[in-house]
Amino acid sequence: MLMPEQGQKNKQMIPTPGPGGGSGPGPQAPQVEKPNTEEILKRMRKVDPDQARRYRQRTGE
Amino acid sequence: MEKKRLVPWSVYFGLETEFGISVLENADIDVVEESIHLVRSASQLGSPNLWDYTKEDPHQDARGFRAKELRQDADEANFFSQDRQRPYSFEEIKSDFVLRNGARLYNDHTHPEYSTAECSTLIELIAQDKAGERILEECAKASSKKRRHTVCMYKNNTDFAGHSYGCHENYLIPRLIPWDRLVEGMLPFLITRQIYAGAGKLGWEREDHGMLGGYQISQRADFFTELVGIDTMNRRPIINTRDEPHANPKLYRRFHVILGDANLSEFSTWLKVGTTALVLEALQYERIPKRFFLADPLYAHRSISRDPKFRWEIELAQGGRTTAIELQNEYADWVARYVDLDHPEKEKVWKAWKETLRTLSSNPYELKDRLDWMAKFWLLQTFREDQNLSWDDPWLQSLDLEYHLVDRSRGLFYALESAGDIIRLTTDEDICQAIQQPPSSSRAFVRGKCIQRFSKDLINVQWDYIAFRFNGQTYRLDLASAFPGVDLEVYCEVIDNAKSVGDIVKNLNLKPMGN
Repeated sequence: MLMPEQGQKNKQMIPTPGPGGGSGPGPQAPQVEKPNTEEILKRMRKVDPDQARRYRQRTGE
Repeated sequence: MEKKRLVPWSVYFGLETEFGISVLENADIDVVEESIHLVRSASQLGSPNLWDYTKEDPHQDARGFRAKELRQDADEANFFSQDRQRPYSFEEIKSDFVLRNGARLYNDHTHPEYSTAECSTLIELIAQDKAGERILEECAKASSKKRRHTVCMYKNNTDFAGHSYGCHENYLIPRLIPWDRLVEGMLPFLITRQIYAGAGKLGWEREDHGMLGGYQISQRADFFTELVGIDTMNRRPIINTRDEPHANPKLYRRFHVILGDANLSEFSTWLKVGTTALVLEALQYERIPKRFFLADPLYAHRSISRDPKFRWEIELAQGGRTTAIELQNEYADWVARYVDLDHPEKEKVWKAWKETLRTLSSNPYELKDRLDWMAKFWLLQTFREDQNLSWDDPWLQSLDLEYHLVDRSRGLFYALESAGDIIRLTTDEDICQAIQQPPSSSRAFVRGKCIQRFSKDLINVQWDYIAFRFNGQTYRLDLASAFPGVDLEVYCEVIDNAKSVGDIVKNLNLKPMGN
């Protein structure tokens, strides 16, 4: 059952997501101590840039 | 895991996760065929074809009626029609296994699905959930070897092209909580908890359609278009009304949460399930204050996920605006008025909840060692700067996918974890134990031990019963009331000491069923 106070409005435009997709510059780079990133970057560079494009699944629940 | 200090919650909770599957060398694989072979690789860990489908009814609606048809019935019929051309029966396609740890592994909508054993402590649930990842990791290795290609398993919720699959949470709670109170009380909570429970996603989607560009904190928010409903595959609702308690239906309700993301981070899963269970417990005593109500829940759900500034502002039904952080803070304070926070695990969750909200408002980047969406955001940000990529570069989406790979030698989440950049709540020993043994604090203990010791005598199994054969007759061990402090300890002792199913019949005084 839906409470009247929680009724939805349909007219608002839902923003496109996050940095690069929305308006504004997005968040700044993390303001925390930067760990050694070379190892993880090495691993990331090996990832096939096209693998997400090829990855197709059936709809589940 | 310090078992001696485990104090059960008054609810059972469990997770059911559909995994994504692909083959590295061939994008055009037959996912049904791959899933069948993959699940069957788990044969050493369980018993096949015992699941009793005759007692399942996803059409029963918590609003007090039985839905004539689900929107997904047509899709299911279509899939079934396609799959009927295969040389397999329904049972062979499902390839159902009940595992020795009390969990269930099978094919659901062509996704290998792992349903954890029910648990009544959070730390056991986390170990059981991770056990599922490890089991599927091993299945992928075994299937790869047998089929001579590389099978990849992903614990995520999307293919980035508009096809989503779920990680559902289940909370067995007292039926005496009025349904209306649950709906109004859980809507604002579930919509705003993504700020710590989201798994993060590059791009955005609608049914059968995906676009590159932008990072959002939730994998699933794009796929929810209804507030309340019984469907789970199309027009998904924030509040799912499926009413299958798998326990005494007069006393219990299984609150079925379908909007959550599949988390790799133990902390994210722990906080997500723990806070949800706390709110459900508080709802036994009181309605939420009306000032928590959202003006437009569906809009808020997506706008929070997509907010580029991580401010997560929302409009309230009574007027004015707040933020998801503030509303979650209000929920935490409200919960503290009703829930006994002397319970060690509840207290721990509540404190972590408040601390996480505090950090989200001061410096969310500090949470990259525990929240999936922030860990992934940090990875993509770091890589983007290294390679000078824009946020709509397809490579970033491929890295997003790689984050969720359960193969620990390649997956990016596991790269962070093995480098010590992600906090853990369990040890490898806890997870090994959870692969082999059921949780000790729920009826899953009885199920798991029966699979380990008496599988040849079993006829069928459901969450709330086990049927077995003894002296040519059928007996049913009813687990509908097997809760800590209610019948569970007696059942566990009998199963532990039984040398045969005859001992179970004798010591629990079971009567044969009509054959």
